[in-house]
Amino acid sequence: MKQYDVVVIGAGNGGLAAAVKLLSAGKSCLVCEKHNLPGGFATSFVRGRFEFEASLHEFNGIGTPENPGSTRLLFRELGVEDKIEWVQLKDAFHLISKEEDYRFTMPFGLEAFAEAADKLYPGGKKYTEQLFSVGLQIREALEYLSISKGKPDPSILKEKYPDFLRFASCSVSEGFNAMGFPKMIKDICSAYWCYLGAHCDNLGFIHYVNMLYSYISGGAAIPKHRSHELSLAFETRIRELGGDIWYNAEVTRIITDDMGHVSGVQINDGTEIKTRHVIANCSPHVVYGRLMDPEAVPERALKLTNSRKLAGRGFTVFLALDRSPDDLGIKEHNYFIYDTCDSVRQYKNMGKLHENSAQATVCLNRAIPDCSPEGTTILYMTTLFTEDVWSLVTAEDYFKVKNEVAASMIDRFEKSTDTHIRDHIEEIAVATPITYARYCGHPQGTVYGYESQYWDGLLPRVMMVEEDHFVPGLRIGGGYGERLLGYPSSYKSGYNEAVRTLRDMEKEGE
Amino acid sequence: MLFNIISERRKMIDKAPANQLPSTFAVNELAKALHPGYIPARIAAIREETENVKTFTLVPASSNKVFPYFRAGQYITLSANIGESLLTRPYSLSSSPKQALEGIYEVTVKRDGLFSSWLIDQAAVGTELVLGEPGGDFYHDNLRDSNKVVAIAGGCGITPFRSMIKAVIEGSEDYQITLIYGARTRSDIIFKKELETLSDERIRIIIVLSEEKAEGYEHGFITADVLKKFAPESASFFLCGPDEMYRFVKDELKKLEITDKNIRHERNAAGNRNVDNPRVFKLKVRMRDKVYSIPARENETLTVAMERAGLNAPSRCRSGICGFCHSKLISGTYTVLKEHEYRRAADFKFGFIHPCCTYPDSDMEIDVPTV
Repeated sequence: MKQYDVVVIGAGNGGLAAAVKLLSAGKSCLVCEKHNLPGGFATSFVRGRFEFEASLHEFNGIGTPENPGSTRLLFRELGVEDKIEWVQLKDAFHLISKEEDYRFTMPFGLEAFAEAADKLYPGGKKYTEQLFSVGLQIREALEYLSISKGKPDPSILKEKYPDFLRFASCSVSEGFNAMGFPKMIKDICSAYWCYLGAHCDNLGFIHYVNMLYSYISGGAAIPKHRSHELSLAFETRIRELGGDIWYNAEVTRIITDDMGHVSGVQINDGTEIKTRHVIANCSPHVVYGRLMDPEAVPERALKLTNSRKLAGRGFTVFLALDRSPDDLGIKEHNYFIYDTCDSVRQYKNMGKLHENSAQATVCLNRAIPDCSPEGTTILYMTTLFTEDVWSLVTAEDYFKVKNEVAASMIDRFEKSTDTHIRDHIEEIAVATPITYARYCGHPQGTVYGYESQYWDGLLPRVMMVEEDHFVPGLRIGGGYGERLLGYPSSYKSGYNEAVRTLRDMEKEGE
Repeated sequence: MLFNIISERRKMIDKAPANQLPSTFAVNELAKALHPGYIPARIAAIREETENVKTFTLVPASSNKVFPYFRAGQYITLSANIGESLLTRPYSLSSSPKQALEGIYEVTVKRDGLFSSWLIDQAAVGTELVLGEPGGDFYHDNLRDSNKVVAIAGGCGITPFRSMIKAVIEGSEDYQITLIYGARTRSDIIFKKELETLSDERIRIIIVLSEEKAEGYEHGFITADVLKKFAPESASFFLCGPDEMYRFVKDELKKLEITDKNIRHERNAAGNRNVDNPRVFKLKVRMRDKVYSIPARENETLTVAMERAGLNAPSRCRSGICGFCHSKLISGTYTVLKEHEYRRAADFKFGFIHPCCTYPDSDMEIDVPTV
């Protein structure tokens, strides 16, 4: 029987980062991936003469080689930095909201952002500057928390990070109210909420403001050759370090011994592989609900998993248009198109199958002009379904329903931006929760892991990592991990679980 | 403050039930029903269409009563062990989407290469095959295409259009079809009776015979004149047939100023390339923890080499587009023909190939996913 120090389940971002970290530490590692490609959502696909990005809108924490962000530093440590070519984005976002009649672009850069806010709302500069100073403190406090391994010194926290403590248990709404933000400033500063998939009454202030600060202070980038480039960079690194990666190899069972410790895995063709350690880059619902024998799952693991809320189920319309963005009048790279900036009501609308056309839309050519043949455009529009409404769709209705929803997304984009794209569609692909369930196996086709709740956001998860660890030899990382969803978070989460696994191995004398 | 949020979270977990978790969800079950991967099936009936063409009716060989639903125009793959080889070939479904839900798929096959000859001459009612799930992007999309479809078929390229015609009649698709079907003589017309007795105002059939003059048929090739005469204004053109037909008809469509957006064609599998006195190279194939050393003929694709050796290598579209055989190149040089080059940009950067349309130019080593 084949034997490895660690088996990683799933070659998503978390699994890839975990494998590279383990291999760098000299451990043997096998990555089992159910699909025939690495990356999970981080991939691309070809239709006709176009290569579409499958999921990435933008990536924060990259910065430049001289002034690196946290994710670039992570990639540097893992030996993949030089394998990826980044393209920096110009503006942060273009916000369109029907109810408030908003239509404006916000730039990257703390100062530029504050100036732009001031132009939209006189006095806005003061509020945003105040928010960014809290943001900086949050970033530093989170770094301190991570080096203090969940045992921070309360006196240091009080002295150095008072704002962090002040907002630690606040939602975004509570925090902005406490800071006395007028509505328009709240709307501008909370525009990114859809990236985290929870509305502002539920979303943790610390989690959100940390992300906002990262975007605005460091800017954002995307890989030149779609996120497939990221995934192949990691894949190549795994091979360089002597790791194994098996495709079409779905893990069907995590085997435990009499002591409840991981002792192996089984894959879909029946092959068993011996290992004492597993890092699962998949949903705890899958791990505890399907991969483990029921009697091997501790009660607390069931309670924790049952307590959580599945986050947004993905839906994306991918379009290749036979005109250039200039010809079509598509000016921006990154659009947020909402019915209302009241995230609670918007979130609720997104729970209905036929009424959801709110979207985060990317025109890839505005970042990478030559991403498609000359005179053409790649545009993709993403929304989330906040309820499991796709469970009612039958096989027979499926193609019809998905195009109905896609049509309403396209109409919405045209109306919101005064563009006409419908007659220029040369290629179209529509990904629904069923598509995401198909490729990545996530429950209900969720793409955002467990939703950030006021009691289950970044901070409590980070502080309770060890308390959430139940099965010796089994760690769970990626989008369901303590850093929640998103590209940088899932890489970091996978890395963290690898570090914890190395620590576990050390403790067990391996 | 920080410790409050911990106790709050503990309380929420305490309150949650310790019930067994659901092992699956409706959305995940639908994904599985539409994309089950491989499906064991059995030949239930064989019908002779023309001298060299037969239609095979397939039914599930497992306890499943239905086949995955699909979009009219898509293909499945058929796999079987023939001699020492394990062969897989794509075939357009000629049956309708609704029939899939009754547990029926049909493929219509012309005697051509090794696999199709085996099907025509050897396969019988009761023969078991493994099917690969429906796929491909040769279908009508109401957000992209006109509701007036001109279907241009050459020879056995009629098969996906039979599915589309049936889909329109049964109501699972909603568009008008003008079928312009090129065949050599009347006896080469596949589905002749079915097409000629069809009476539906949404469907119009024009048959163009190249080697015979007969009443009720056009004569010659599918030229701009023929297209002009029969194609409605602002239509979407769907082409299925041999590559020579694509070249010819696309030139004719250009004369009518039809833009690329409105022309789609089904891709044909990469065949053998023309090489005088083809050499035989050594191909080292890594599959998980196994390594195989096999011969690879210069004029054949790497996938053919692996099939000859009986390896369980991935094979689906065989034309380069689906990416199912995405494999790591470890060493060696190779050629990919332009019309089969659909790799992703990063594949070039990191050295990945699609063996189904890659010809060896030297000894090679590749790492291939196991199926």
